[in-house]
Amino acid sequence: MSEPEPAGSQVPLRSRTILALGGHEFTRKRGNEAIRDYMLALADAVEPRVCLLPTASGDPAEQIAAFRSSLGRSPCRLSHVSLFRLETESVDLERHLLAQDLIYVGGGSMLNLLAIWRAHGIDRVLRRCWERGIVLAGQSAGAMCWFEGGVTRSAGPARVVEGLGFVPGILSVHYHRDDDRRRALIARAAEGGQRGYGIDDGAGILIQGADAVAAVRAPDGAGSWIVAADGAGGAAETELDSIPLPSPRLAIDELPDEVLELRELRRVAARRGAWSRR
Amino acid sequence: MRQIVSFGGGGFSMESGNPLLDEFVLDLTGEPRPKVCFLPSASGDADHYLVRFYRHFPASRCEPSHVSLFRRERAPVEPREHLLSQDLIYVGGGSVTSLLGVWRAHGIDRILRECWEAGAVLCGLSAGSLCWFAEGISTFHGPAERIEGLGFLPWTNTVHYSSEPDRRAALFDGLRAGMSPAYAADDGAALHFVGDDVAQVVASRPSARAYRVELRHGHVVTTQLATRYLGDEACVPLVRRPEPAEPPEPVLVSA
Repeated sequence: MSEPEPAGSQVPLRSRTILALGGHEFTRKRGNEAIRDYMLALADAVEPRVCLLPTASGDPAEQIAAFRSSLGRSPCRLSHVSLFRLETESVDLERHLLAQDLIYVGGGSMLNLLAIWRAHGIDRVLRRCWERGIVLAGQSAGAMCWFEGGVTRSAGPARVVEGLGFVPGILSVHYHRDDDRRRALIARAAEGGQRGYGIDDGAGILIQGADAVAAVRAPDGAGSWIVAADGAGGAAETELDSIPLPSPRLAIDELPDEVLELRELRRVAARRGAWSRR
Repeated sequence: MRQIVSFGGGGFSMESGNPLLDEFVLDLTGEPRPKVCFLPSASGDADHYLVRFYRHFPASRCEPSHVSLFRRERAPVEPREHLLSQDLIYVGGGSVTSLLGVWRAHGIDRILRECWEAGAVLCGLSAGSLCWFAEGISTFHGPAERIEGLGFLPWTNTVHYSSEPDRRAALFDGLRAGMSPAYAADDGAALHFVGDDVAQVVASRPSARAYRVELRHGHVVTTQLATRYLGDEACVPLVRRPEPAEPPEPVLVSA
């Protein structure tokens, strides 16, 4: 399936880009939209081709619909690859993925995600995508998969499962929402040898080559941490300085007075039943 | 007794008004109210599929359950313990490659072999039928291709046989290229294996058939297997459902 990669089509290590998100969904929530817009900007194309891989959740129709509806108004060309549903036309998966500017991997079971990718040979294709400089992004299982390991609940209790290994280190997502995952990461980092990353919902780390070069935070997101052995048998968490992402829509307290006044008028009128809701 | 029932297609997934194949596998367990576990892994544990399973396997007829391998964080029960307690394990359709990948990641392949050897009836359609065999023909991702299964049964399997001519051509090519002798079933037909061998062929549609397809002296030979239509009242099932037991005699418990 894989021919030897011509040297010219590979980009240097530092230009290989991965955006790892601690928790993100394609909803109208402001934080989710801020992350979406940041991610699209990374693709660096006028009309980026964006492909969703919803494998980790078993390719649910809802996740595909949310992705399409959230990105539908942005200038991009959307697609998704389903490894569970029969598609009307068969796609050459390798050619399709290699033609993308951005590949987004959804959350779910990290264990299943990697097992299914390996069964279909997608792991090798994604490595080629990364080597060519296609931006790889994902949340939760879809973020941990790029690392050497991730702290997952795919088989019940939080434990470390091996990832694709493009990025050195172990990632733990939903960091402060799930204390078991945080404890598992700290325990692993305390053993020494491997660096740990902990990312909250609504936050992300930008990786170029093997290094985290920036941390970002949506308006409602918290932060990202590096967890490393402290030399005394434990591990220390160091918060990364996160860049706040701009809000894609005007926040309620930033709205012009006229708009707020009109909304108040509508509210009052609706209570009286005088205006029909348009 | 090791039993596998491999549907060419059919059951609640494909024939929602026709319960004949599903009733057949329930009866095979020999239990009045069998424990039935549905494995929807090949569909990615699709919600709508689970709903349909529970609708067609009501608690009045059996003890239905399912194992989701995508949401294990919400199910503290160990799949091994649960699967080993079942009378019937029913595997749904979808992608056989994804199915086997997920099963192996969770060790379900080894557990299912234990269940089979312990006497649970294993059954399924489409991907859930291909998975039990050494090899199969899958068309899930476009052109028909050879796939490797769990190998509980030492044969090749081809499902949806008469409705998808591409599979037949791929099977013939595969046999000439050295695939093991094959069993093939139409939609609505099911092969009942006891041990490694076919014990009977049953059908939920009068015209559905199953076949043995093999290479003899360089030629592909197809043998149509005798098939029993389950809708015929005159046919008596080989394995009868036990009569309801008499109420037990009161017994004195000695302390």
